[in-house]
Amino acid sequence: MAYRIGVDVGGSFTDFAVLNAQTGELATLKVFSRPDAPGEEIRLALDTLKARDGLDPQDVRYFTHGTTVGVNTVLQRNGETLALFTTRNFEDVLDVARLKIPQIHNLYSVRPEPLISRDRVFGIGERTLATGEVLQAPDVADVAAAVAAARGAGCQGIVIAFLHAYRNPANERAVAQIIAGIAPDLAVVTSSATWPIIREYERTITAVISGYVQARVAHYLDRFERVLHDKGVSCPLLITKSNGGVMAIAEARNQCVQMILSGTASGVIGAGYLARGSGFDRIMSLDIGGTSADVAVILDGEAQYGVGEQIGDFQIHVPSVAVSSVGQGGGSIAWVDAYGVLQVGPHSAGSTPGPACYGRGGTRPTITDAMAAANLIGHMPLGYGAVTVDRAAARAAIAPLVGPLGATIEGIAGNIIEISVSGMYAEVSALTSRFAIDPREFHLFAFGGAGAMLACFLARELDMQGVVVPPTPGVVSALGGLIADLKNDFVRTIYCGVTETAIGSLGPVCDALEATARAWLEAQGHEGGAELRFSADMRYPGQSFEIETPLADAWLRPGDAAAIRSAFHDAHARLYGHSDPAAPVQMISLRLVIRGRTPKPALTPIPVATGPIEPRLRVEGWFDGQGHDTAVYHRQDFAAGHRCCGPAIIAQDDTTTVVPPGFAVRVDRFGNLVITRTEP
Amino acid sequence: MAIDRRTLKVLANFCSAAADAMAFTLMRTAHSAFVKETEDFSCQVVTREGLAFANPRQFGAPWYSGIDYGPLLAMFDRYAEGDVAITNDPYSGFVATHSPDIHVWKPVFHQGRLACFVVGHIHNTDVGGAVPASLSRTLTEIEQEGLRIPPVKLMERGVLNPFIAALIRSNVRMPGQNLGDLQAQIASVNVGERKMQEIVRRFGFEDFIDGVHQILDYAEAQTRAILRRVPDGDYFFADYADEDSVNGRPCRIALTLKIRDDEAILDYTGSDPQLGSSLNMPTGGRERHPLVMVGLTYALFTLDNALMLNAGTLRPARAILPVGSVVNCTRPAAVGMRSLTCAMTQIVTIGAFAQALPDLMPAAAPGGNAIMNVKTTGRDGHTVMASIGPVGGGGGATPFGDGSDGAGGATGFLRNTPLEITEAEVPIRFLRYGLEPDTGAPGTWRGGLSAVMAFEVSAPETVVTARNRNRSIFPAWGVKGAHPGAVSRFVLNPGRPGERSLGNTDLVACGPGDVIHVVGPGAGGYGDPLRRAPASVLRDVRKGAVSRDRAERDYGVIIGDDGID
Repeated sequence: MAYRIGVDVGGSFTDFAVLNAQTGELATLKVFSRPDAPGEEIRLALDTLKARDGLDPQDVRYFTHGTTVGVNTVLQRNGETLALFTTRNFEDVLDVARLKIPQIHNLYSVRPEPLISRDRVFGIGERTLATGEVLQAPDVADVAAAVAAARGAGCQGIVIAFLHAYRNPANERAVAQIIAGIAPDLAVVTSSATWPIIREYERTITAVISGYVQARVAHYLDRFERVLHDKGVSCPLLITKSNGGVMAIAEARNQCVQMILSGTASGVIGAGYLARGSGFDRIMSLDIGGTSADVAVILDGEAQYGVGEQIGDFQIHVPSVAVSSVGQGGGSIAWVDAYGVLQVGPHSAGSTPGPACYGRGGTRPTITDAMAAANLIGHMPLGYGAVTVDRAAARAAIAPLVGPLGATIEGIAGNIIEISVSGMYAEVSALTSRFAIDPREFHLFAFGGAGAMLACFLARELDMQGVVVPPTPGVVSALGGLIADLKNDFVRTIYCGVTETAIGSLGPVCDALEATARAWLEAQGHEGGAELRFSADMRYPGQSFEIETPLADAWLRPGDAAAIRSAFHDAHARLYGHSDPAAPVQMISLRLVIRGRTPKPALTPIPVATGPIEPRLRVEGWFDGQGHDTAVYHRQDFAAGHRCCGPAIIAQDDTTTVVPPGFAVRVDRFGNLVITRTEP
Repeated sequence: MAIDRRTLKVLANFCSAAADAMAFTLMRTAHSAFVKETEDFSCQVVTREGLAFANPRQFGAPWYSGIDYGPLLAMFDRYAEGDVAITNDPYSGFVATHSPDIHVWKPVFHQGRLACFVVGHIHNTDVGGAVPASLSRTLTEIEQEGLRIPPVKLMERGVLNPFIAALIRSNVRMPGQNLGDLQAQIASVNVGERKMQEIVRRFGFEDFIDGVHQILDYAEAQTRAILRRVPDGDYFFADYADEDSVNGRPCRIALTLKIRDDEAILDYTGSDPQLGSSLNMPTGGRERHPLVMVGLTYALFTLDNALMLNAGTLRPARAILPVGSVVNCTRPAAVGMRSLTCAMTQIVTIGAFAQALPDLMPAAAPGGNAIMNVKTTGRDGHTVMASIGPVGGGGGATPFGDGSDGAGGATGFLRNTPLEITEAEVPIRFLRYGLEPDTGAPGTWRGGLSAVMAFEVSAPETVVTARNRNRSIFPAWGVKGAHPGAVSRFVLNPGRPGERSLGNTDLVACGPGDVIHVVGPGAGGYGDPLRRAPASVLRDVRKGAVSRDRAERDYGVIIGDDGID
């Protein structure tokens, strides 16, 4: 036997997707996460898989893993005590950031406290110019004094970020070398080695976050590796990345910033893979958990990428799968304000204490409680028996709102759902305007614990094509990690006009990028072929933002500047509705993505229905404040070709799909629920 | 669907989604840098009477959330589906506030009935006139400030009036950019129209109209509740802009804030007569003109962050604006730099509120946020013109903490320009950028530090402009016994022969080797500095925010090598 395993360690649950490489069968498992003892959930899961499926750890040939340890370190601000070395006279880079304050109408608003306080920032006498020319090289005594001061301030590591290091890293490297000589125990991160982009604040904060989480991530990975080793898993271990790919665990220890968003990214990758395999080319993924609701746009199975994803108070600027937060998840709290108006959020009960109906100490009414009070969830056990839904507790939590609002509990529950959905509508609507897409051409692909619970309500407001709920919505992220390719991004800041001469001289840069990329892929232990894709960040002179434009091989090395300009004009027109073909074009940076394909399970058809589907029971479900006779189905009863009509509730181990009146469900051959409007 | 207290938020969310969609469309399709970099634009959905009830949630200039388009809407007796109207004339209807701001508005119909309007403006980089970019303190008449388009139908029933585009093309310096921006504005109101039609259909015409009034009433009720927390009384505050460029005298802005139960009167009587420079505000004496209500909006939002911002927010307030004064100028006064004066109105409003609620209101941000530009010849011989970022003061100290450093309070909405981008494009080399020590006013809570920028020019015939400079004479005030902030500085060749202080000059000619050094005005503090926690003084000294000398002199804290002595 040979198995490939993808694992997603989330805040509440850890999900396993296990592929039998011989039979192509996919098994799943969900266990509680153990933030108190990381690695223990893996130990438990491997034991369970052995007992349940006869999986011998020695037969595991491939193991990927996504984790939130990096992002949590930033959120909880419990990372390393670091020093920052900057060019002298520019030490305030983290304090000033990009100047703008978070709440522009609030006179109390201040920028978040930097991850490295100003007294641990030290200027070094050095200077590189925009051309890359070194005006002043660093001096050993100067660096030694700064290192001594950093030590005096209790720093455990040093981040080096000098002006124009993206263009010439010589001074950063020289200082790193000096530190290695006099203080080999201090961890050193340089901005040029982390992500060498132009824009000093963005490059610096990216390097700072990488350094800040490094020790915790490394410690976590050590434990993780030890557990797997103890259990007899001997294959190479991989970590999922923010860019939707995977990398070797050894690399994750040095390139922490690359794995910060690994969990959310692999969810999108998994959704894209499942949707594409089932024949859905244009989807928006909707992932709702207890504390977050995220949407991503997926075209032809490909996630969209961006830089500047938000990590707590900060943005990181490495390429990441673009995911937009559209709400606070099933735990958002409903309340009546001083003017008697019903509000939902921004406070959330999160996963602790959680919704009142979960009976874990929550008392305030959440969106999940509204669903429970409307009698739309809780008819089958949820979360592998981990939680049960107490409808009476949900009703009791909403009851205090009855007086102030003068309505029934069921009516208020409907209002709570409607308000939370209208909030998501506003966020998704902004997203579609930004990407210039029309939601009416898209399916909503629902996953996560609560995605399928609210998806139909949201799709209805956005007038979307329909909703798709995959067979196992709870393990889409784990599956995404399992099927992700080995993938890495490389960048060189170029900053030139797109002219024949300038492009003609890029050959050696391309060669160097390609050699670095191939060496990287080899180091990950990849044996198959490599796919390389060049692109460039370009703009019209004077613009403050760039558009990443894919480049064909036939343009770059032969120096076909005209073709490159024309590709940019086209991209500009596509995104902004206009272009200026007569204007010069600037290339700010050249990028290369390398990808080593990994094997993917084929989606397996489920058995075909032989008769109509029968509900397990019928209940009175409340939709939009109206009671309806509602059929409750069990997901496992469905076979391909089955159809049913809303109002309906479809329960399964890891989620509940709620189908309002006016929607119809059909099961496709891969077992997806495809839900469409039957009434306008 | 009828709107009530249980569903108000649903309609409000939908309407703000429409405003967001307009803003994103504008951001995405506009041509000029102002839109994309400084977000100097607005988008709103307004009632049939002109009252703004929905604003974008994250974008756009923060001044216009409560705007009333009434006088512009009334310029035409009839509107048909597909009409788009336009104006930038500060003296027609008093909605446009200087000539670069081009406003458009479009009616939204549902089954032949007028439901609302979608509106917005863009600050165009140039609309012609005496100087590039159309703005300078030195201009004296509106006629020098570029093309003025009187209120006119740009489109009638979907058909474009080609004369308007031709008029723009023959009057401005970069017509491609203006016409591109105009296209973006049309795209934006079209998206808004479509979204609003969907919303009216979803809720039903009557319920929509009724629901919108409830949204305005809700914001009004919030404002009234906030104002009831402010003790009744008359609160007087005056401050001075350093000078107006014609005679060099300071310009006084005076305000008596009259709080009467849940209403506020902003009486600007006592403000200086209109000026011979372009610092005048064309408000037409309108009681709720956005330019005189910015400070109030900030104060209210600070007192309650859940405040919904729309025209209802401003209903319990009205301003008294003497005719012929700097806050209500008459034609032909120039108005291009009204933003400097608007900043002063914000400052006196916050000052008056600070007297009414000394335990809640912060010191004001100092204003005088210099917008730095460099115009020179590049290495390849082409003209280079670039904005290299704002250099201003920090936020005023609050009753609960230090002011935001570098930028904050009412002037915290601009982003800076990365130094590396500037150095790659403009032949200058930065010597310093960051925060200037000892500029934030001493107080129990310290005022925000000023930004500092220094650079060396390397090309001949370089012109450095610093629009909006102020506070090199009158420092920003503190609250409850705190000190004022440091004055701003603008120096050519500091510490060298030929050193020259440039004061509030907004235009400097330089050559190779010249060094420009600019420090924004420091923000005022809050409370007696001698009551500041010594540990906070020590932290400031360690961070380099305060020197040891000043720690001793201003805070009475002596700091040795091992900490507090």
